[in-house]
Order: sequence, then structure tokens, then C-alpha cells
Amino acid sequence: MAKVKCAWFDFASCEGCQIELTNYGEPFVELLQHIEIVEFREVMTEKTEAPIDVAFIEGSFTRESDRAKLERIRDRAAVVVAYGSCATCGGINALKNHTDDYKQEVYGADADKPHLDSTKALPISAAIKVDYEVKGCPMDKDEFLGIVQQLVHGTAKVYVPSYPVCVECKRRGTVCRFDEGDYCLGPIAQAGCGAPCPADGIPCEACRGMVQDANQKSMEKVLMENGKLPERWAKQKTRMFTANFREDA
Amino acid sequence: MKRCYISDEHLNGFVEALMGRGPVIAPVAKQSRFVFEKLETVDDLMLDYDTTILPPKVAFFPTKQELVTFDGKEAKSCINPTDQVLFGVHPYDIKGIAMSDKFYTDSHVDENYMANRRATTIVGSSVQKHYKHAFFGSVCMEVEVIGHDMFLTRVAGGYVADVLTDKGEALLGLGQFGDATDAQAGEADQVNQAAMENCPEKLENTSAQIRDKMRSSFRSDVWEELSEDCFSCGSCNTVCPTCYCFDVQDEWGLDGVSATRCRTWDSCLTAEFSEVSVQGGCENFREQRAERFRHRFMRKAAYLNEQLGGPACVGCGRCSGACTADIANPVVVINKIMEQ
Amino acid sequence: MSCSCGSNAENVFLPKEAEIISAKKMTDTETHFSLRMKDGSTFDFEPGQIVEAGVFGFGEIPLGLSSSPTQTDSFELVVREVGKVSKALTELGEGDTMMIRGPMGKGFPLAELRGKDVLIVAGGIGLCPTRSLIRYIMARRDEFKKFTLFYGTRSPKELLFEEDLVEWRASDGVACLETVDQADESWKGNVGVITTLFEKAEGLDADTHVIICGPPVMYKFVIQKLVSIGIPHSNVFVDLERRMKCGIGKCGHCQINDKYVCLDGPVFRFSDIEELEEAI
Repeated sequence: MAKVKCAWFDFASCEGCQIELTNYGEPFVELLQHIEIVEFREVMTEKTEAPIDVAFIEGSFTRESDRAKLERIRDRAAVVVAYGSCATCGGINALKNHTDDYKQEVYGADADKPHLDSTKALPISAAIKVDYEVKGCPMDKDEFLGIVQQLVHGTAKVYVPSYPVCVECKRRGTVCRFDEGDYCLGPIAQAGCGAPCPADGIPCEACRGMVQDANQKSMEKVLMENGKLPERWAKQKTRMFTANFREDA
Repeated sequence: MKRCYISDEHLNGFVEALMGRGPVIAPVAKQSRFVFEKLETVDDLMLDYDTTILPPKVAFFPTKQELVTFDGKEAKSCINPTDQVLFGVHPYDIKGIAMSDKFYTDSHVDENYMANRRATTIVGSSVQKHYKHAFFGSVCMEVEVIGHDMFLTRVAGGYVADVLTDKGEALLGLGQFGDATDAQAGEADQVNQAAMENCPEKLENTSAQIRDKMRSSFRSDVWEELSEDCFSCGSCNTVCPTCYCFDVQDEWGLDGVSATRCRTWDSCLTAEFSEVSVQGGCENFREQRAERFRHRFMRKAAYLNEQLGGPACVGCGRCSGACTADIANPVVVINKIMEQ
Repeated sequence: MSCSCGSNAENVFLPKEAEIISAKKMTDTETHFSLRMKDGSTFDFEPGQIVEAGVFGFGEIPLGLSSSPTQTDSFELVVREVGKVSKALTELGEGDTMMIRGPMGKGFPLAELRGKDVLIVAGGIGLCPTRSLIRYIMARRDEFKKFTLFYGTRSPKELLFEEDLVEWRASDGVACLETVDQADESWKGNVGVITTLFEKAEGLDADTHVIICGPPVMYKFVIQKLVSIGIPHSNVFVDLERRMKCGIGKCGHCQINDKYVCLDGPVFRFSDIEELEEAI
């Protein structure tokens, strides 16, 4: 079998998902036997304009000027994989989506510089067709590897659970954050990560996005009643990673 | 039934002797809760636990279990049981295990479950503290507590040990057991009776009454109302000792050739559970959360009730505690249905 | 410490290997496989029963057998490419191995159908499992009375088993009525939904026993027609599809209220399930 030609691209992001991947160690080295990396800014200087088998895209689509770049990638890639929260949900960048004064807030006197112009932070799928998504902030390297393995095997679809994080928490016997007097977005958060955060005593922030048909009204109620968050917080909580899933998005 | 006694000072020695023979799975503390886990040291054993996050079936039916492996040429069975002791199981959970045994042997025997189950010796223990949502004193009363090998009841200064099977009898040699006096035996009966009577929550009707009413409430609007806050998160299913549904998925090995077929506990409350590819499209025959919510209660209180002669609910209260939206409590739901 | 109990016992999830004798592309999405067990055993089953067919690394899916058990040297399956597993199955070719578990479930009620008039109503891919019964009846034609087949697809391009259709159209053994929702230039036959065939059929009466297999929307309309003929629901049998992970009544995915499709079905007497909201 010829090696699968893979290229990595990044847009508005912290590039943490690329770091996560390069930190993977042995399994990543093993994976390299099946793939050929033709572009990957974080680890090599070479670039390519040739057709690619799989393009991995990190970061959100937040500047209209990026559309053409994304389209160019789409044109020459057989498969496009968006990975990480920014690329799949808009990510933490989407915190700005409901505000007008974020530039002033963040950049102060420099706010009017043209390179800071941006629109709403949206997933890559808002600009081009995306074939597969690897969610999470950072993306889960095991899930990433699983999907790449399936791609190497030429599979049509990859199973990713559509249920909330609670399922995975319960399966690993994690003490519920609410039992510890904490809050958690697990009940509406897209699973697939294996629920590592609550297992480490950290609430789920729904970095993989919301499940379809997420019961947002019930979530606000539970955040207030069980999580003891003030009403304003409870209502704002899902702006962190899931602004694009909110009913007011 | 042989009734023995072991004093507090000798209990640890007994447990350590068990640990010397093989794995002992027992309740241990985990933050504010308890879990069944392999004992690393006898000091971790918490026989005064209220209830555990997951039911004790995890000992022989892990949340993820390999079924078949494939090395690229040939498929091989993954049935590979290890002799183990499941220690400190509350009576309601013993009922749950007996039900799972039945589900996994009815019509077709599931050896992937049963081989592990048969390799497990079960030592039950009396309820010393009630979980806040426990209602085992008023549900499933028709179903006997059977299937365990020994049962320890907390009495003054030690435990009365009821020996129920040959497997249980075989354990006596590992500890300093004496015969229980009539007074100790009487105290044990009282302790277990009191545990049943002192449950913090209570169902108001018999299994038969509930079963009939459930059937006739199928088309009631009450399901919509009860499930309004449901997250479809499956927590109620996943912590349930009598739920036994699972999903099966294949995983590739890193070599890109080998693969493993695994099953994972699944939940009928999640939307994807009832999705079907029909004629190339996707149908969901329980698309609404109210339908899924209802299905759980119908299964427990009607369908399986008819099959088992009692509801597939042992009153542990785990689901009530696990539901963040606080809508899964069977006592609240069933009592409400019964009032309709 | 390992234990001797049960470790050699049968693992119901361990599939058997079947060799693909032929793999023919029937349409853009359907592939027709002919198989035989690699261990040389005969694959015994009843028309209407299902198997779990799979490829390691991808998974298993339930499929209705589409050959008649009267054909003993091989058995046949049709795979429609929909998802991960069906794509992997579709990519298999002659000489490859398909992993098979089964047969499973309850098939068509042969004992009850014998000596009766039989109508089979097949929509789309519903012809695949019912073909098992059609070929069975054709092979043992004198055991059954009048035999009528309704077959409907969306378009002529989607017609399955064209060779069989040629044979059935020409045979005196079966009144074969076909329809398409949308015709093309090649199509000379009936155009319209499958229920329009009731006007063309002859000799259907209250004693006719009916088998229905097709998309969910079809059942309701066909059954309405049957009622107008006077055919009771107890003489109607439906072949249902569900996701199945085990095929042995454990995994729960195929539950219709208190029924398991893999144990109690996939063929159900309609009067047994008509009250079940989750059935159709």
C-alpha cells in the first residue's frame, strides 16, 4: 500500500493540537510508517502545492480572507479532516461572537490595526466541506489516531458517539462533579473524549461542542440549582466553547 | 444454611487470605462516593459504604469487554475468566446480579458474561448505611436474594456469616470462623430486617399493581411532562444494576491489520441507541426523549416485570442520584404514575 | 490464577468464515454475494432468517438471507452500501472471506403458508429477504396455492434481481406485478406507488396470507388496502429491520417495546405488533 500523503494546516488557533500530536510519541512514530507528511509547519519547513490525500486543518474560520485559502486546500485534498475545537466548533475564539467591543477590550490602542479585523469565529465546515472531525480542546490524540487508522483503511464512516459526556464519566466510575458540589457541562457536552477532565476533578466545559438536541434549558436550571452558579453565569456558561451551538448563536 | 461468626479482629485476616488466593473486588472509597475495585490493601475495604457509583457486575461484566480478536488471519475468542471474589455486595445488588445472570442465559447463553460470572465467588454484606435514595425495602419483594455464596451481617463485635453454597463453604477455612450463637443469628436477622424497613424512600404499590398500571399508562401525556428536563445522557441506565444492553464496535490494532471487537455498556436513553439504517436512510423508532424515558420505565416495571415476576429494579437508588436533572427517581416517577 | 470453567465454551460472538463464491454489483449501491462456509458445513436456515455479516476492523450488520434454503450448495446475501460496515462488505470480492454469525431469528411462517394463497409485497431492498421465500415457494410450488408478487422500486434503475424477475415474469407459478414510482424511457410497466398494484391483481381474497417487506411508510398503506379486501391482520406478516449488535436477544438495540426483533422476529404477525407504537 502506498503511503498516504498528509498535510497539516492551521488557522485561528493556539496550535496546541499540533503540539498534542507531536507529543504523542511512539504511536505517532508507528503511524508514520503508513503516512507521508508533506507539509506540517510545526515540525518541518517544506511546503507543497501538489495534491494531498488527507489535509488536517486546525483553527477556526474567522476571516473572510481565509476562505480562498481553505478552498485551495479543499481543491487539492481528497479528504479534509478538521481537528480540535476551533476547527470543529469555532472553539474558544467564538467567545467573541456575541460582542462588538472585543477588539477594544483585547488590543486597546491597537484595536484599529487592519490585521486584527475578523468576523465571527466559525468551524471550518462553514467555509468548505469537511469529511471528518476530531473534536476537543486539545483534540484527543487516541481519537485522532483512531480516525487516521480508519482513513488509512479507506473506511467510509468513522463511529463517533453522539451521546453526552455523562455516559463516559459513568462508565469509568467517575464521581459526578455535582456530587462534589461543583458544576459541569457534561450533560450537554459531546462525548468521545473518554471524559478525562471530570476524572481529574475538573468540570467538563464541553470543548467538543454540544450534542444534537442538547437540552440547554435544563442545563441552565441544573447549573443554578445543583451547580450553585448565579443565574447570569449559568446562562453565559456555554459561551466558552459552544457559543455556536447556543440558541442565540 | 450454616450460620457462622467472625469477629472484627479476624475479618481483615480473612480478607487478606482471600486476597492471597486471587483478586478480591470490594467497595472502596472514592472522594465522596464508593466504587467496587480490586482491593490493593485490606485497609481500603469499606463495608460500611452506602452504595457504589457503578453496580458490582463490573467485576464480571466490565464496562468495556473484548469479545473476539482478529490477528489478520484468524478470529479468536476472548473468553478468559479468572477466579475472583466479589466481596461486600449488598442484598439489592445480589438480586441485580441474579437478574443479569438470567438475562444473559435466557434463550442464548452469553459465555463472555457467564464464564466470568461462574469464576466469581460472591460474598454479600448487610447494609450498614443507606444511600439517600435507597428504596430496596419496597420494590422487587417477590424476587429472592439468591446467587451469592456467603453473606456477612454486621452484628455486635463482628459479622454473622451465612454459608449458602459449596463455594461459600470453601471459604470458611481461610478465616477464624466459629459457629454463630442463636443470639448472634437473631441479631443478624433483625439487622437485615431493619435495613429493609429503614430505606429513606418507598414505593407505595406492589409489583403487579405497578406492572398493570404501567402498561395502561403507555399513551399518557405524563411521560412528556416527566422527561422535559431529560438530557438523554444515559446516566440512569449506566449506573443501573439490572441494565444489560451494550454496543459492539471494532477497533484496529496499531499494526493496521489486527482488530478487536469490543462491547461497551450502552444506554437506551441516548438518541443513537434506537437509530436504524432502513432502506438506506436513518430512522429512529424512539426519536423523542419522552419515548426513551418511557421505554426505560416500561422495561423495568412492565416488560421485564412480566418476565421475572418482579420489576427489573432492585431499589438501589443509584439512578436517582446519578440524574443531574433529578427526574429519573423511580420512586417519584412510579408513585406519580400510580396516582394518575 | 486462571480458571478452567467455561473457557472453552462457545463464544456466540465468534463468527465463522464464509468464502465469497461470487460478488456481483446489482446497482450503484447494492452488491449480491454468493457464499459457502469455509469449514464445508451446510448453512441451514429458514426463509426470512437473518445473519450478522462482518469484516474485522469495521464491524457487523444484520442482513436477511436472500437465497432459498432449498439451494444447499451456497447461500446469498445482498449488501446495500450505507455506512462503515456495509462499505467494507461491498469492497469484498470473489475468493475473499466474509465473517458470518447465524442464522438468527424467526423467519416466514412456512407451516402456516402451506396450502394457502400467498401474496408477497416487496418494496425496494425488501425484495432481498423476501426473495428467500419467493424462491422457496417456486422450488416447492405444489405446496402452496395461488402465489402473487408485488414489487415496487423508486425507479427502474433500482430494480434488483433482474434475472429472477425475467424468470418470474415468464413463469405460470407466480403472478408477478411490478411498479416504479418514477418511470424512465425503458419502463413499459406500471407507474405509481405499490398500492396501485392492488387494482391489477386478481384473486386476492380474505384467506390470502400476506408478507410485507419494505420502507416503513409502505406498511401502513399496504395494510389499509388489505383491510379493504377483508384480509385480517392475523394473516399479515411483516419483515422488520432494526440495528442489531448481538442477534441473540441481549444487546437491546432491536427492541420494539417488549419484543426483540432478533428473537421474536424479524418476521412478525402483524396482529402481534400492531399495538406497539415503536414497531412501524
